Formats: sequence, structure tokens, C-alpha cells
Amino acid sequence: MEITTIGIRGRFSTFVRSLFERFGIYIFLAILFITASLVSPDFLKPQNLKDILNQSAALGMVAIGQTFVILIGGGGLDLSVASVMSTVAVIMAHNTEGENSLFLPVAGICLFFGILVGLINGLLITKRRVQPFMATLGMMIIVQGIRFLYTKGMPKGGFPPILRFLGTGDIGSIPTSIVSLTIMVIIALIVLRKTTLGRQIYAIGGNIQTARLCGYNIDLTITVVYMISGFMAAIAGLYLAGWIGISDNWVGKGYELDSIAAVVMGGTTFEGGRGGVVGTIVGVLIVMMLYNLVLLLAMPVQMQYVVKGVVIILATSFYASFRRRVT
Amino acid sequence: MKKFVALMVVAAFVLTTMVITPMAWAQAFPRSWLWASTELKMMDTSKYKKRAPYVIGFSNASISNSWRVFFERQVRYGAELHGDVIKRFYVTDANDKPDKQIADVEDLLAKGVDLLIISAATMAALDPIITRTMRRGIPVVCVDRRVSSDNFVSFVTASNVAQGRAQMLWLCEMLGGRGEIVMLGGIAGSGPAEERRAGGEEILSAFPNVKVLDFQYADFSPAKGKRIMSALIQTYGRRIKGVWGDGLQTSGAMEAMKEAGMKVPITGDHLNAFLVRAQEWGFPAMSIDFPVSMGTDAVEVSLKVLNGEPVPFIYEVPRTVVCTQDTENVKTDMPWSKMAHPEWPDEAWNNTLPKKWLPY
Repeated sequence: MEITTIGIRGRFSTFVRSLFERFGIYIFLAILFITASLVSPDFLKPQNLKDILNQSAALGMVAIGQTFVILIGGGGLDLSVASVMSTVAVIMAHNTEGENSLFLPVAGICLFFGILVGLINGLLITKRRVQPFMATLGMMIIVQGIRFLYTKGMPKGGFPPILRFLGTGDIGSIPTSIVSLTIMVIIALIVLRKTTLGRQIYAIGGNIQTARLCGYNIDLTITVVYMISGFMAAIAGLYLAGWIGISDNWVGKGYELDSIAAVVMGGTTFEGGRGGVVGTIVGVLIVMMLYNLVLLLAMPVQMQYVVKGVVIILATSFYASFRRRVT
Repeated sequence: MKKFVALMVVAAFVLTTMVITPMAWAQAFPRSWLWASTELKMMDTSKYKKRAPYVIGFSNASISNSWRVFFERQVRYGAELHGDVIKRFYVTDANDKPDKQIADVEDLLAKGVDLLIISAATMAALDPIITRTMRRGIPVVCVDRRVSSDNFVSFVTASNVAQGRAQMLWLCEMLGGRGEIVMLGGIAGSGPAEERRAGGEEILSAFPNVKVLDFQYADFSPAKGKRIMSALIQTYGRRIKGVWGDGLQTSGAMEAMKEAGMKVPITGDHLNAFLVRAQEWGFPAMSIDFPVSMGTDAVEVSLKVLNGEPVPFIYEVPRTVVCTQDTENVKTDMPWSKMAHPEWPDEAWNNTLPKKWLPY
């Protein structure tokens, strides 16, 4: 009798832990959402929620690319994304001068630029065996230098109305940027779950030796993953520029660390092979809700830093502790 | 004859008023070191007197933002203007890193400069090397940012405290001395941001019915300015009757207000994006500059030092104020439209550079 009871408790406990392991980040988001609603009545205002969504779009886009990179494992991360974001913003402003007619060709150049930076990152990592941290850090500095050479330190031009619409407009009552982010999330889900590339990414992240024995082209997959990250950073840079509306040399500043935090909070581990974009988007929402909440509560800047840091650590450890116990 | 002379004088005055452009009038306004509120400390520079031509070094903190790009060009332009007496003009860039700037200064000293101009990356870290430079008998002129000790000949600058005061005075008077406002500062802990905030808060003590709903740092970033202002609008909504800001963040804040359908008085500086958008969107606004032209002024002061002429220890450069609407104590130096240039890039600053020196 006693033995049976322990067994039930054990199964129940394992079930609860498994539940937290699978849905921990969603539970954390819900807790944060409810807490925010209780401590700040302004939080639930429709316009405030819309602002959070609008501001989450660019971070969500760049975090999708970052998810691919971190999933591949081997210490993969991309520090060059913020530099790419800032650079495509000034390329767009310089070359369109606010004209809609030039938007598509210049956007094409911007996306190509992002892919090119990703390609170089990938080649450095796979062919020259440079650690991802160092390769992408180096590219971050190089791209920053190129941007300053290009702008002579002073961006000029303006953004075409179509880009402003993408950054600030609505389709019905939904922000255009959120519609775009949703489409990108769906595409990323399909790529990760339904394509050979997706399977290879999880396989390489899970166990690179096994993946090699399976005949996967490891170097090619890693390079493609960094190209995807560069591509997503370029898209994110354009959306962010459209949202701000001012050509600035530091448009994407801080997005490299915010995107890594969102991905890891969302359950993608640095070891690779586990996680996905849905968790990442939840991580993005946590980051942006947090940034919004500390402002609504009129916290002084010193406390803002402390609260943001504590919540990011809590979210990550909350998730990780259940995962450890289950495994 | 007397009538004729009087008539000529009046005619000359009228003609002069007509031909001088508003900009020139504003620059001639003596809002300079002559108007320092305390007794001026004039520096005797006779011991630095040297025969031309000179070798001068300029150690710059960085060109990491558009203000600093214009400022650096103003320094170089100043050197070009005096090419007859300056044999060599060396420029170094420290990328905002104090350790690199110390090495830069050592390099410049090794090149045998007669005078050093410096815009210090940080006040404390550069102080020892500047003190050593002065001890070696090489005069140092600080510009834009000084070192922590008084071991230099002159500091060419514009008062951040006065800037904060002027912006807050205009805002409070625009509100008729009553209302609730928000303040958007620059980078937490940075000298300019803290000094401007302090100046603004000094004025608030004279307006007890103007309440600050919130103060937030926006890192001199338009993106952050927009994000923070969006949240503040959600919290305080129409209670916000004015916005005090001192830099690039105000252009982002204005975007957020426009999207929310709000149009309240706002302060900023002479960033073209702020000036143009305020005009385009019809915001009541006030702007005071932290002039990039102080770069050229620093070269002029340096040449006076090398010529043995006395110079002020703190050299306040002339600055301009523009308002879309005058208040009792803050008047515009010129029409707003003369300072806002829709044909210029967003990140351009009001300057005294000829075309070939413009970075765009």
C-alpha cells in the first residue's frame, strides 16, 4: 500500500516536472503577464499591448535567426546581428532618399548584405575553425567600421513611406510588423520541422559526430545557418528603421544580447539540438514586456537594470531547473 | 550738416540690419564667455609664446556619433583656416577608449607638438597624462570634454547646466507655470546628461506648480526615446503637458507623441531631425545648441596661447536659441525655419563649415 502511494506520487511529480519542462516558459510568461496586470493598471490598455507587440517585431525577427545559430550547437551565437541591422538601415536611407520606387531594389541589396555577412561568418567558423564568438565579434567590428566609412559617421537620406508602413502601420487593427513576424515564424517552423535542413540542424546540434556519420554536410549546414541569421538580421534592421523613422548609425544597438537572451530564455540551449522558434518568441515577449513594465512602474534607471537582470536569470533558471530534474 | 550726419547714421543702421542675415545676428549675440556669471579667470600664456609655424596635435575621444563627426571637422577646418601659421596638424581618434587616448597623447608628444588640444574620453583617466604634458611645458587646451584637474590652459565649451536651465525655463513658461511634464535624459551617469538634468531641476524649484511625472534616461537614442515615450503615454496619457529633453532622444519621443495624437511643448537641441519634424508636425518647441563650432574655436584659442595672449580659463562659446514661440524670458534668436533645414540629413547639426567640409 505504502509502496503504491509513493509510486503515484512519483509519477505525479514526474508529470508536473515534465509539464513545467515543456511549458515552463509559457507559464513564466503567464505569471509575468498577470503580475504586470496587477501591479500596473496601464499594462492592459489595448494601445500598450499593441506597443509591446510592435516593439517586439524587430527583436523577434533577429531572434529567429539567432535561434537557428544557437540550435546548431558548438558554442554557436551571432554577435554581428546588431551591426548588420544598423548598416542596412543606413543603406536604405542613403539609397532610397525616401522614395518608394527605390525600395525593392535597395531592400534586395540590404538582404544580400545580411546574407553576405552570414556567409563570411559561416566560412570563418567552418573553414578557418574560428570560434563563433570570435568570428562574429570580429565581423561585428568590421561591419561597424564599414558603416562608418560608408556614412562618414553621419547617415543621410530618409525612409520610404512603404518602409514606415511596414514599421508602424496596421493591417486592420493588427500591426503590420506583427503580421510579418507571424509569417516569418511559420516559415521558420516549417524549415525546422519539415525540411531536411531543419533535421540536419537538430541532428548536428544534438550530436555532431552522429550527424557526420549519417553523412550530413556539417560545414554547409553551419554556413547556411549563419546566412539565415544574417538574412533575418537584415530584415529586422529594416523593420526597426521603419518603426523609428530616423536614419541613425546605432539603430540595432543592444539587439545582439537581447536576441541571445530571448532565445536562451525560450528554451534553446547553448549545447544545441533542443529548442525552437516558438519558445524564442515567448522569450522575446518576456523581454519586451519587462522593458515596458519597468517604465510603467516609473522605476529609476538603477532599479530597471537590476529588475531586468533578475527576471532574465529567473526565467532561464526556472526553465533549466525543471529540465535538469527530468533528464 | 548735423542733420545729414544723423541721417547717414540712421541709414547705415537700417542697411546693416537689413543685410545681416538672422544667422549672423545670432552669432554676433554676445552669449559667450564675456557673459560668465563669475569673475573671469584669465590665463597668462606669455610663457608659451612661440614663433610660428606651429606643430599642433588634436587628440579626439571619437567620431562615434554625428555630433562628434561635425565637431571633428570643425577642428580640422579651424586648422586649415590658419594654414599660414600651422605647419603640421596631427589628429588622433581614441574610439572612446581612455587607454587608447593615453597612447595617442604619448604619440603626439613624441612627434614634438607645440600645443595639445584634447577632447577627453573620460575626465579621470586622461588627467595624469595631461598633467604630465603641462609639466613638460606643453600647453593643453581642452575642448568639449575636460580632464578632472585644472591642469590645462583653457577649456573651450558650452555650459550643459545652462542648457538644461534654458530648456526647462522655456517649458515652464510655456505652461504658464502650471502643469505636469516628463523628462527624458541622455545616458545615465554621463557628464552632459547629468549636468543638463541638474540645470533643469534648478529651474523647477522656481515653478512649484510644475510637476515632473517621471524622469527616464533614453541614452541619446531616438529608438529608445520613442520606446520610452510610448510607455509614458500609456501611463500618464493626456496628463503630460510638456516634455523636457536634451538630445537625440527627443526626435524619437516626438514620433511617439505624433502617433498618439499628442502635441505638447517639447525641448531639444539643434539636431536637424528634431528641428525639421517639430516644424513639419507643428509641435511647440525650443532648441538650444551645444555648438559643433567649438572645434574651430578651440584652434583659435590655441593660436592665442602660442602667441602669448591671455585667454579665459573657461571659454564659453557663443550659442543660439530657437523657439517656435517666445516666452517671457526665452526669446528666439531667429525664426525656427532658418535653423531647420529639410534639405539636410536628419543627423546634421547646425555648423559653420564651408560646403567642402560637410560630411554629406
